[in-house]
Amino acid sequence: MSRPEIRQWQPEPAAQEPDLVALLARVARGDHQAFELIYGELAGPVYGVVRQVLRDPAQSEEVAQEVLLEVWRTASRFDPARGSAAAWALTIAHRRAVDRVRSETASARREQKAAPDIAPDDVAEVVAATLDHQRVRRCLDGLTELQRESIRLAYYSGYTYPQVAQLLGVALGTVKTRIRDGLIRMRDCMEVTW
Amino acid sequence: MVKILADDLHVLTGSYALDTLPDPERAEFERHLQHCPACDAEVRGLRETAARLAMAKALPPPPGMEQRVLAATYRTRQLPPLPPERRHHRHHWRIPRRMAAFAAAASVAAAVALGITQVSTQHQLESTRASDAAIARVVTAADARIETGRTSAGGSVTVVASAALREAVVTATGTPPTGRVFQVWVMSPSGARSAGLIADTSTVLASAVGPGDRIGITVEPAGGTSKPTTTPIAVLPA
Repeated sequence: MSRPEIRQWQPEPAAQEPDLVALLARVARGDHQAFELIYGELAGPVYGVVRQVLRDPAQSEEVAQEVLLEVWRTASRFDPARGSAAAWALTIAHRRAVDRVRSETASARREQKAAPDIAPDDVAEVVAATLDHQRVRRCLDGLTELQRESIRLAYYSGYTYPQVAQLLGVALGTVKTRIRDGLIRMRDCMEVTW
Repeated sequence: MVKILADDLHVLTGSYALDTLPDPERAEFERHLQHCPACDAEVRGLRETAARLAMAKALPPPPGMEQRVLAATYRTRQLPPLPPERRHHRHHWRIPRRMAAFAAAASVAAAVALGITQVSTQHQLESTRASDAAIARVVTAADARIETGRTSAGGSVTVVASAALREAVVTATGTPPTGRVFQVWVMSPSGARSAGLIADTSTVLASAVGPGDRIGITVEPAGGTSKPTTTPIAVLPA
């Protein structure tokens, strides 16, 4: 089976946060053109993170579409004082993906479908050139093994923290603190300003 | 009436930001966020951080998806904006993130020492919020100090005090005997002044606390008294 070609996703140069905020305000007023621009900025990260969690391309596409439509539907509820537009949309995206995993009554269904046409490491390789990814990787390298693994399993694999604890063979409380400590270190390392 | 153990909840900011809390805990934490400004501020920063993790995994969306989504927008009614007061009610709590980190740490320390319980009946929500704003102000003060001690009634008490603000936040655990309340006093050489009852809210804000003043807790009849009528169950420096 040949590995499908994956283009590298690159944000458009003009994509700065103030633009997204202004665009979302226009979207809230029903501006379809502004939504197209929002789509251009956010569809890549939204699809990417959903795919990271769900793995199955068809299911990921379905969820990513729901998320982007949710951005359209709830644009009036975005509050720029409480965070960036990208974080708002990606929070919706990740949560939807996780909810989808959890609602799959037959987890077997997910396992059956889990014959992804790309291995997760390939995804990582392909996007490695993006600035975001380099920075994230550098900051992840600065964490302890347990912090890094806890965050990876929780966020990228979409496991609940009791599942993470089980996979890592550590106590529940340990996972909770490692996730928080690790994320705080990531936040400071990436100089997140919220 | 829902009782929440705050010490457990404060460490959940990270887990919440990564959507890794199983369902009952997620809902419980969301209720907690409504009146924990320090947690709320920390969650915001950690969510931005999680968003960077997501950005790093961006992929080209499948061909055709854009057309399908755009077409769907023409068939989908949008939500109206929230009324301003609901939308902004949390902004009162906005604390700079660095401060928030300290506030959360201080809250954790206080909560661990105490096992603070927060009563979240609708009726008491407003007063709880008011005291949370005060807690945030005191525990984020540059000179905030934490004192903890045991009460002779078998609980614990924590005082977070700022000399610069002349304020102290007092929390105590344990249940007073039926028909009685814990009353907090600011004790100075000139006498004891009531700072409030622990029964009304989980915490009490003592203001106009002078240098050398101490915080005392007594067991008093329901409703409290104007002067202490019993021997304090705990006395801590403010």
